[in-house]
Amino acid sequence: MEQLLSGYVIYSLAFLLIFISLATLLHLQFSLAGIVNFGVVGFWGLGMYSFSLLLVKGKVPFVLAVILACMITGIVSWILGRIILNLDDQAVLVGTLAFATIIEYLSTSEKWLTNGVMGLGTVNFPFNFGKKSLLVYSLILLVFTVLLMLYTYKLKKSPYGRLLLSISDNEKLSQSLGKSTFRQKNIFFTFTCALIGFFGAMAAPLYSFIFPRMIGSGVTFTIWIALMLGGRKRLFGGLIGVIATIGLFDYVIETVIPIPTQYAEIVPNIKFCVYGLMLILVLMFRPFGILGDKKMEIVK
Amino acid sequence: MREKVLHLKNVVKKFGGRTVVDIKDITFGTHGIEGLIGPNGAGKTTLISLITHKIGMDQGQILYYKNNKEIDISKKRLDEIARLGLVRTNQIIQDFASLSIRESLLLSLATSKDEQFYKIFNEKKFRKAAEQEINEYLEFFHFENPDGHALSAGEKKLLDIIRCMLLKPKFLLMDEPTSGLAQDQTDRVIEMMKTKTANNEMSILIVEHDLDLIWKVSENVFFMAEGEILIQGAPDEIRKNKTVISKYMGENYAQNK
Amino acid sequence: MTFSLFTSTALVLGLLEAAPLVLAAIGFTLIFRLNGFTNVAYAENITLGAYFAVIFNSMFGWNFYAAIIPSALLSGLFSVLTYLVIFRPAFKRGVGKTELIILSVGLSFFVRYGSRLIFGNDLFNFTFDNPSYLSAFGIGITSIQITCIALVVVISLGIYFFIYRTNYGERMRALADNENLAMISGINPTKVSILIWFIAGAAGGLAGVFYGAFSFVSPSLGYNLILIIIMVTIVGGVGSVRGSLAASIGVGIITSAVTLLSKPLYGQVVLLILFIGILKLRKVRI
Repeated sequence: MEQLLSGYVIYSLAFLLIFISLATLLHLQFSLAGIVNFGVVGFWGLGMYSFSLLLVKGKVPFVLAVILACMITGIVSWILGRIILNLDDQAVLVGTLAFATIIEYLSTSEKWLTNGVMGLGTVNFPFNFGKKSLLVYSLILLVFTVLLMLYTYKLKKSPYGRLLLSISDNEKLSQSLGKSTFRQKNIFFTFTCALIGFFGAMAAPLYSFIFPRMIGSGVTFTIWIALMLGGRKRLFGGLIGVIATIGLFDYVIETVIPIPTQYAEIVPNIKFCVYGLMLILVLMFRPFGILGDKKMEIVK
Repeated sequence: MREKVLHLKNVVKKFGGRTVVDIKDITFGTHGIEGLIGPNGAGKTTLISLITHKIGMDQGQILYYKNNKEIDISKKRLDEIARLGLVRTNQIIQDFASLSIRESLLLSLATSKDEQFYKIFNEKKFRKAAEQEINEYLEFFHFENPDGHALSAGEKKLLDIIRCMLLKPKFLLMDEPTSGLAQDQTDRVIEMMKTKTANNEMSILIVEHDLDLIWKVSENVFFMAEGEILIQGAPDEIRKNKTVISKYMGENYAQNK
Repeated sequence: MTFSLFTSTALVLGLLEAAPLVLAAIGFTLIFRLNGFTNVAYAENITLGAYFAVIFNSMFGWNFYAAIIPSALLSGLFSVLTYLVIFRPAFKRGVGKTELIILSVGLSFFVRYGSRLIFGNDLFNFTFDNPSYLSAFGIGITSIQITCIALVVVISLGIYFFIYRTNYGERMRALADNENLAMISGINPTKVSILIWFIAGAAGGLAGVFYGAFSFVSPSLGYNLILIIIMVTIVGGVGSVRGSLAASIGVGIITSAVTLLSKPLYGQVVLLILFIGILKLRKVRI
């Protein structure tokens, strides 16, 4: 029982790391560059499926498959970015949402490629340390997550970070200072989407079999509510938010409260219902997250 | 007299059928500081927005002269034009909500070399190199809290001007830069304008309603009304010009003078 | 399949696809025009309309056509409720346009999964009394489908007439165009807004009912369609009833044609790709 629990704990933590990274990437895209990406799961799924296809069907070595998956996601996001990033926020929102929906549909319809709803697998860890494989893999994920957060921290205090902020605050004014705003938005979008794809690839071995239903809009929505809840302007906003939502719902509640099987079906429904309500409340009453906004308090 | 910097030919802009700007043939930049005056609604701000391509013109051509080259900027984007050295300050206050005063100025000084998504370790070096220039401006204009945000309208206006100056433009268009400024700050702006245009590196076109300032600072003045530039000349000539007086300064003013 | 059979099938199926879409687009575009933002929660308006009708039709045993009326009323009320309880307070709190859409996504998830809790995850079908089977242009079609299309036409005309030919409609259009001017002219913005949201809600609910009648009722009914509805609104022009009509028919025919030639999901994928293209072309500015 003890062993089972600790294996489950590490498993949960590994997933939390993936989602913390996704939330941090969304933070970079939305809070820094002002890109309203409602298609996060599309890039994540694209990375996940490209990687898995290369690994399982293409017999490509693990590391190379990850790199190629990133590149594929990057190229696709570059093309999408060129089309929609100079439109207004609402257009970017629905455009990215449409993109993610296309990816979700294609993963189901292209059975010859993805096995559709039968699932694609088996995606294994790149090494075999027996029982310790999961732990080692999770440590690797931890390293990447920490690197990402370091990058985010450093970026905010750098000239590029200021450039991104200026673009999201007042794009025309930034242009009038000679900044190539569209080009930089596109480059940054491509870079961060490639990283979203990276974490999609890295998530595949954790699932070991991947299905189209894993890349539905619920994932994007969960990341958004996590970011909004944790504080969109905070470096650790994603971290706090993910722990407060996914950590709480998917792991704490499911471990602590044993749900009888007849109710197991309704737990996801309760979860998303509560998420929806939380998002409404946060946006109306605490737009800068549950911890509030430091600057706003000083001004008051 | 200097070499011309801008040449506008047949530049026309209409808003919903009404012609707002109609410039047949005008040259700017032949003097260090030139003034552009005219009644409200004459189209002065629109003209500046057309030159920098913040809004597009319906027809016409704008030529820009730099390093003995003639560049057609009619179809160039806002940011391209700014990089070529053609910069404007804003009449309506514009600012970056997320950036402090110092950060705003650092943004202005940063070049595309400094601003790359993978360059996250260059901050210290960049700040050090920019320190002297930024501090000069901050001290000259008596900014009390440069690491805070610009709070008053006056501070924001000054910030706007300094951001533009840091770009070291060849031609600076100033759209009512001193409205909302206290007298001491206005004097400093004038002093700065004179210093920076002393050599041939920069010329300024200033739009103002404060006519005393215009007479004091300009070597050449353009008068604009109803979308057209009707007259240009030395300040003394323009002051006494009957059309200018009747269309702008009013009969009362003429009688009192 | 011969070409003429293909065209007639595509046309008939296209009209079936388009009919409910027209109503949904009309309702959606009214809110879009009035409040200037994309209300993603409108998807749930559509779904709930179908569920309301299911309650009256399956639970209370009403005739399908009779069940439409309470469904429309309840959908309208639901819409007004979301306006008064959530969106109007949000406007007053100064929530920005982008945040409003995100908020509407939150509302959509809340209502959709709340519906799953109440109605369960299963699918429902309407019960009809003795449908007759006919043939149009060589395609099989039921009397129900014909009646529903006819109803859609009547209701759309009714809404069109109301908006463009009556006093109330004039006030609605005035408010949508310029709120300050409208208020000065003595138009009560709250009352007129409630009227617009009611009509939009009712139209959406009815669209849901007809969708459910042509296929089945599921919790994701509306959500699966919302992107297409947004596209139709943009193509047809925000606030234009005639535009929505034309765009809906176009979308319906394209979907059917693509589906006939390949797989059902491809119809959706083609539409979504077109959607992204149209966003670019129309450069939607709100």
